[in-house]
Amino acid sequence: MASIDRKLPMTAGKRVIWITGLFLAVFVVMGPVYLLVKYSISDIASINTGGEPIPLWPYNPTLSIYAYLFTDARFYHVIINSIIISLSTVALTLLLGVPAAYVLGRFKIPGRKTILLGIISVRLFPDIASVIPVVQLFIKIGVYQTYFGVILAHTLLSLPYVIFIGMGAFESIPKDLEQQAWVMGANRFQTFIKILFPLAVPGLAAAAIYTFLLSWDEFIFAYFLSLGKQEIFTLTLYLNKIKYAEPQNLLSAISVCLSLPVIIFSLMVQRYMVAGLSSGSVK
Amino acid sequence: MADVVLKSFTKKYGSFTAIENLSLEINDGEFVSLLGPSGCGKTTLLRMIAGLETIDGGELYIGGKFYNNMPSQKRKIAMVFQSYALFPHMSVRKNILFGLKINKVPQAEMSRKLNWVVNLLHLGGLEERFPREISGGQRQRVALARALVLDPDVLLLDEPLSNLDAALRETAIEELKRIHRQVGTTIIYVTHNQVEAMSMSERIALMNVGHVEQFEKPRMIYDKPKTVFSGEFIGSPPMNFYNGEFHIDDVSTGIMTSVGFLKLDAERASKIRELHGRKVVVGVRPQHVYFKGHHARRRHTDTDIELTVELIENLGDRSLVVGKNKNGTILRFLVTRDDELHIEDKMSVFADGRKIHLFDPSTRLNIFD
Repeated sequence: MASIDRKLPMTAGKRVIWITGLFLAVFVVMGPVYLLVKYSISDIASINTGGEPIPLWPYNPTLSIYAYLFTDARFYHVIINSIIISLSTVALTLLLGVPAAYVLGRFKIPGRKTILLGIISVRLFPDIASVIPVVQLFIKIGVYQTYFGVILAHTLLSLPYVIFIGMGAFESIPKDLEQQAWVMGANRFQTFIKILFPLAVPGLAAAAIYTFLLSWDEFIFAYFLSLGKQEIFTLTLYLNKIKYAEPQNLLSAISVCLSLPVIIFSLMVQRYMVAGLSSGSVK
Repeated sequence: MADVVLKSFTKKYGSFTAIENLSLEINDGEFVSLLGPSGCGKTTLLRMIAGLETIDGGELYIGGKFYNNMPSQKRKIAMVFQSYALFPHMSVRKNILFGLKINKVPQAEMSRKLNWVVNLLHLGGLEERFPREISGGQRQRVALARALVLDPDVLLLDEPLSNLDAALRETAIEELKRIHRQVGTTIIYVTHNQVEAMSMSERIALMNVGHVEQFEKPRMIYDKPKTVFSGEFIGSPPMNFYNGEFHIDDVSTGIMTSVGFLKLDAERASKIRELHGRKVVVGVRPQHVYFKGHHARRRHTDTDIELTVELIENLGDRSLVVGKNKNGTILRFLVTRDDELHIEDKMSVFADGRKIHLFDPSTRLNIFD
């Protein structure tokens, strides 16, 4: 039996317009990615062409620049900085955010709405506006130009997300489970550790990865908080510093290294993130 | 094992009083049902006993100990929630052992108890499964097992059978009765289903808007409803109710109602000679109205009620007939399926004078109580 063609009939002219539009959209989105990848695997001859037009694909694609990158001590130093800061941010954010999310999600607290608004208020301002008071405050409390300062700033930025996603995760656990544990003799702490926390893990994992990514590619706060203090530069700051000084293939390779975790993690937890974000925001 | 004593319990939600001045004494090892329509406070009462709701007034004693301020964790009780509340991230074994682990019971003791309860509730082979991997009936048994291994003084069950289909519910009722006989724990069972309450409990506390209407053996509630509500709620199909007036003279004693004159048996009639002319609420169960064909049951005191058949509902072995008299008053009664009846048939029935229930219209209490 012939299958029914559900597509609407389209004239040839319309079809051309649609396809052209589609290609344009793909070009705009994928263009920079293409350039990035292309430059990172280009040989020198494909970059310094001596007046010739730059080829669409390198003459001799090579991974040599990546090999070089991983022998470069400066690169090592900043990528380790980035990892330290990101992981510490995740740890600190979860440490502060999970209990807060539990309390806000499971208890009737007076002024709950005001507290939630206060928590999210950091994100209501553009980063560039909130960075100045934060820097001033951090200078006063003595964490300016330190790892901890950057970690603290990133924690500040990611806490609202972790709290909101975490609240959603805790709220979605039926109250019966908690009360059943109490009746069986578990105190509140045991109930949290053995029942609520394990059940909230999928949501909290999404929040943790979100936090990692936020910290990993954050620029503005890291920049202002570590001005002139190169030892604590993250990958983004390093890239910013060398953007005019180094050859294009090196810059592109660093950019790829910066983007890769973002892409991989985003694809991995895409489903959780959507579920987590919506369960936190929509009640 | 222990007895449970509730003294003038009160529960308030803001200005709404959910439970008012409610007292109950449940014996050690007794199976008691809290039965009532939704919103009557039966689950609230159970949760107060469990310590999940505060006791706003009154006293709770379990096994003679004052329990009011005892946190749930310290109460020697176990509870099965309506939703079963199985921990979804734990296997059946871990679910069952959770309470024992929390209470730091030695390993040997734990495995002995696990074996015992797995045999008692036929859970063999399911120990490593997760709640999502077992059927509704199995979940219900796991929830019960998890409660029983704790050796509770009192076992609280909150509508544990309401999520099961009819056939499973039937088996579960038998199981519960068997387990109660074997374990002997005091059981407080909340339900809105009179069949469950009637078939399992030793006594039923019939509840209505925050108080106990009647607390007695199932049979007694059925045979001698203490209030109009008891009569209405217990029994299926429901009782017929009529407003009437006592008519007592030398010839006959009975009640004049819109459905007809309902004669009383001589024994009870002799007790209420002084009530002539007083208003009364009469309750007649459909089971106690007889079709004229049933001569064997006919007694000389009974008067005939002339009806036209309006509706016939087939109940399987019997049929429920809805009849209407010339005043338009409706009487529901049961006939056997051999009684050939058709809609619009004219017929004559009589109510058994010994079985009609009389209530005071103002106090709503049974006159003969």
